[in-house]
Amino acid sequence: MYGLQAIAAHNGWAMALAGALIVFSGLVILSFVISQLHKILMFFEKKPGDVQQDMEKPKVAPFENKAGFLLPKTFPQNINEIARLYKPLAETLGETFYLSELYEMSRKNDFPHPHITLTALRESKILVSDGNGVFTWNLPAEHDDIENV
Amino acid sequence: MELLFQFLSNTGYYLADYRNVIMIVVGCLFLYLGTAKHYEPLLLIPIGFGILVGNVPFFKGFGLGIYENNSVLHYLYFGVVTGLYPSIVFLGLGAMTDFSSLLARPVLMLLGAAAQMGIFFTLIGALAFGFLPKEAGSIAIIGGADGPTSIFLTAKLAPHLIGPIAIAAYSYMALIPVIQPPIMRLLTSRKERLIRMTELREVPKKERIIFPAVGVLLCCFLAPASIPLLGTFFFGNFLKESGVADRLAQTARTAIIDTATIFLGLTVGASTQGDVFLTPKSVGIFLLGAVAFSIATASGIIFAKIMNLFLKEKINPLLGAAGVSAVPGSAREVHLVGQSEDPENYLLMHAMACNSSGVIGSAICAGILWSFLVGL
Repeated sequence: MYGLQAIAAHNGWAMALAGALIVFSGLVILSFVISQLHKILMFFEKKPGDVQQDMEKPKVAPFENKAGFLLPKTFPQNINEIARLYKPLAETLGETFYLSELYEMSRKNDFPHPHITLTALRESKILVSDGNGVFTWNLPAEHDDIENV
Repeated sequence: MELLFQFLSNTGYYLADYRNVIMIVVGCLFLYLGTAKHYEPLLLIPIGFGILVGNVPFFKGFGLGIYENNSVLHYLYFGVVTGLYPSIVFLGLGAMTDFSSLLARPVLMLLGAAAQMGIFFTLIGALAFGFLPKEAGSIAIIGGADGPTSIFLTAKLAPHLIGPIAIAAYSYMALIPVIQPPIMRLLTSRKERLIRMTELREVPKKERIIFPAVGVLLCCFLAPASIPLLGTFFFGNFLKESGVADRLAQTARTAIIDTATIFLGLTVGASTQGDVFLTPKSVGIFLLGAVAFSIATASGIIFAKIMNLFLKEKINPLLGAAGVSAVPGSAREVHLVGQSEDPENYLLMHAMACNSSGVIGSAICAGILWSFLVGL
């Protein structure tokens, strides 16, 4: 027996259609499950204890400080990038300012290790003293181009 | 003098017929393609040499041939006819496979499913050509482009066709660089071939560990007949990803799979004795195998194009061609065709995702066909 007659006699159409549907639905289900796998894992990784701790913790916005300066999650190590974060602080103090003012402002805005950082900024000649206890901001133009953190 | 004549009449030179000579030429061709052209050498060399061994004419009744009881080759062939070697090969494959790219982009799994359509089109075609249902199912699985799966299913449904089906499946796998690129170019526009895929996310280890367990349960519950293949496949992958059984994973992906591949290739090659292999059915199997492989490639590509009608983030339709389970040959070919249009387009990892889902898909298909046809 050959041709369409043979296909019909051996139930070929039904086998092909059912087979194609089964393999397709199987892989669609598997694909859906693995697309949700990371969400399921995230759900289970958040232990009940963590949830309790979260509730007890005071709600703070750790990255956005009081004056509205946005700090990155990880404070940069590069002095030029640190200077870029400090620049808006210095600008609010005017063209010249006292170092104590900048120190106080950075402390209030939760900048980490302000004393060490200001020393590093002075050593790298980004904070320049005019000799009378007053400082100016001296960040060269190319440092302004540093990629946003 | 009589003794000398008797000895000469028992030599291969005296007993040879033209069918053995033809098959020896085919064996030499396989060895040439594997050695000089580097077409799937790990498969073609054992098969090619097996063809030479299997076609040395011998005096029947000496217990030498692969089809004679108690011969060494017959014992080695046991792993083929019982489906043992394919199962072991799948264990090693699982221990080699990295599912990260599939887990990062699960939608690509659909291309692995689409490429299996070649199997079902060929099933209909083989029935129309007059093959019996079990034979048609065994021929159709060539469309999965997966040698071990083809051998496994044929061993279960139509053991007398193992030789031609295995040779056809492996030949087309070796000829991927010749068969697939024209189909890819024919079915895609240049603009489509230039589509770049977004970078894949990094998949956490926990996801990679859980996947084989989820995969084996979902797939084998759906098609229990695929347990011998997918059970070992996902087990091998779990060994790899768990990170605590490195020694076992290392053995599975080296010594074990290599041993199984050697014996599988050699005995499948040796099973192609000219008098058994060179029949009109074998010619039909080769023709239908080519059709199956081409339809599988085309259906993957066409399905990718259909998906693009609905997806916001378009996928490169070339990836559909990697939905066949010829790992990693078809993924490599997709990558090369993509790079021939845009040298900075890296499709390999995405294509590997389709490829690995193709392996799962073709094993499920084997299970489905076995369930459908075993009682007929």
